[in-house]
Amino acid sequence: MTKSDTNNDSAVSIRDVSKKFGDTTVLEDINFDVTEGEIVVLLGASGSGKTTILRIISGLEMPGTGKVTLHGKDVTNIPARIRGTGVIFQSYALFPKMNVSQNIAYGLKLRRKPKKEIKQTIDRLVELVHLEEHKTKYPSQLSGGQQQRVAIARALAYEPEVLLFDEPFGALDAQIRTKLRREIRTLLKEIKVPSIFITHDQEEALELGDRIAVLNAGRIEQIGTPFEVYSKPSTEYVATFLGSANLLEGKIRNGKFESGEICLEVGGEYDFRDGQLVKLVVRPEDVFLRKPENLMQHYQKLTDGVIEELSFVGAFERVGVRLNIAEPRSIVVTRPKTETGAFPLEPGRQVTVGVVRFRILADHSRTSEQTKRAAS
Amino acid sequence: MAKLSGVRHTHGIDLVKPLSITMLIAVMLPLVLLPLASIFIFGTSTGLASFWNALTAPEAVYALKLSMVTSFWATLFNVLFGLFAAYVLAKYTFWGRNAAIVLISIPTAIPTAVAGFALLLLWGPYGMLGQYLPPDKQIMFTPYAIILANIFVTFPLAFGVIMPVLETMSKSLEEASATMGATRWQTFWHVTLPSLRGAIVGGALLTFARSVGEFGSTILVSGNLAMRTQTAPLYIFAKFNEGQVEAANAIAIVLALFSFAIFSILFFARDWLEAD
Repeated sequence: MTKSDTNNDSAVSIRDVSKKFGDTTVLEDINFDVTEGEIVVLLGASGSGKTTILRIISGLEMPGTGKVTLHGKDVTNIPARIRGTGVIFQSYALFPKMNVSQNIAYGLKLRRKPKKEIKQTIDRLVELVHLEEHKTKYPSQLSGGQQQRVAIARALAYEPEVLLFDEPFGALDAQIRTKLRREIRTLLKEIKVPSIFITHDQEEALELGDRIAVLNAGRIEQIGTPFEVYSKPSTEYVATFLGSANLLEGKIRNGKFESGEICLEVGGEYDFRDGQLVKLVVRPEDVFLRKPENLMQHYQKLTDGVIEELSFVGAFERVGVRLNIAEPRSIVVTRPKTETGAFPLEPGRQVTVGVVRFRILADHSRTSEQTKRAAS
Repeated sequence: MAKLSGVRHTHGIDLVKPLSITMLIAVMLPLVLLPLASIFIFGTSTGLASFWNALTAPEAVYALKLSMVTSFWATLFNVLFGLFAAYVLAKYTFWGRNAAIVLISIPTAIPTAVAGFALLLLWGPYGMLGQYLPPDKQIMFTPYAIILANIFVTFPLAFGVIMPVLETMSKSLEEASATMGATRWQTFWHVTLPSLRGAIVGGALLTFARSVGEFGSTILVSGNLAMRTQTAPLYIFAKFNEGQVEAANAIAIVLALFSFAIFSILFFARDWLEAD
């Protein structure tokens, strides 16, 4: 299947979507699908174009080029009011002069549903979102979390093609965010409505999404399950945006990664040519610190190092280690409590640094710089 | 609502508070309170019977009715137009938008006598446009001229109250309504308009109160003909000139009470008007 084909099994299909505002390109060649009951999270920094994608799917914005398909129907040129998407805005956008029941009933009244059906739907939905006691309250009388649940119930009332969440937890404090996103994921899995979330919060993306699409400057850098995107980032941007990562520049030689004194077996999954410039990406939790004589066999030794600093960050310890290589540089290591208890560290201590998991990425920035230098 | 409380800067007896309150009353008393009180004191000094007779005189009743009717139509027009203008100017950005806002607001800065004079020059029997109207369809010196003058002088009031509310209204409300299946008209009717309830009622009351009290422009365009084009403020002026102070005072009391009632509604019903 080429990327321009629409996947007929998809609830939502975005094909070759691009968008410009004036001379500024905000989206370029966006392609992805959402299957029935799936939750896809669009993760990106502000200005990455994620809100524009959501607005294009909902019909509030027209794409410059490309196609939007909802349940097999091309809706690219169909106005927002006919598309039947359910949008949960960051501000919730509850109608202030309508109470909870009236807000939920609004979409059904517009569709001229019988009064009995509207009442039954309201009762069912307020029960679903646990707001039975608040049916007659106005939005200003509800907490942020309650308002958000009303917004979801309101969108669910008219059985939308897809639910679109525009940074829905942005206005809530950290504790409520965590609780609500778990509640909402459970709810969405229960009702099986395809959903797209946008967020800039990596933790939120990892917890909510069945799949995550990482956006950067209007392009999708990588799309995959949270495990794939986190553990096998395909670009440096993804590696550093989703979680923290240590990066080491080097090159491939005889199937190994080399950077000064560092030499690691790369394995068969990569297809790099000899001499290619690459970057080693290692998550802080994939680095292990041991006494020099204690490095176990299933770790690959990176090099030796000296502890620079230690900080306690709740569930784990963060350690800064200066590597003993020709061009000294530091990396960050995180250690769980079990390990900090078994092997306490202090600044200045000599350790052996090993890695259990890592990624090797082609280093396009240095390659292009070197090409330019060669050309000039 | 948060209550602002004074901050004490001295120990012992704080004289600033009683002194400042006394000064406030001392300034307001001769400038506002006493003139208002004098209307009521004078009006009731000859007894309620003479006050009632002055109030129910056919000319007085006609003047009050005319004021109410002409103000009603001017208010209706200005609220509808103000709502339309505010909607267009808050929703769309276009070349000349700021000029349009200034133009709508200009009547507040123009003396009412100048407004009346300008209307005469335009719609009078020899005016720029009035000269083309047949003699039996002339507008000036009819109740229509009073409505026109009221519209002119109160033009920006409703607009001025509605526009800021529309400008601060979240765009996502209308977008949410659209994604739920509403047409533009349904969104306006069910979402935008209810949110403007307070502003519309407030703007209407302000416009109506200002229209009822209008004098400077109406004296020029109405002709001030008793039982035909004489509004309540013109009646007060005419009766005062004729030396019938009791008659003038009776209507003055009604207008003062009317203004007081409107102001009270605006002040005390604000919470109700803005309530969700």
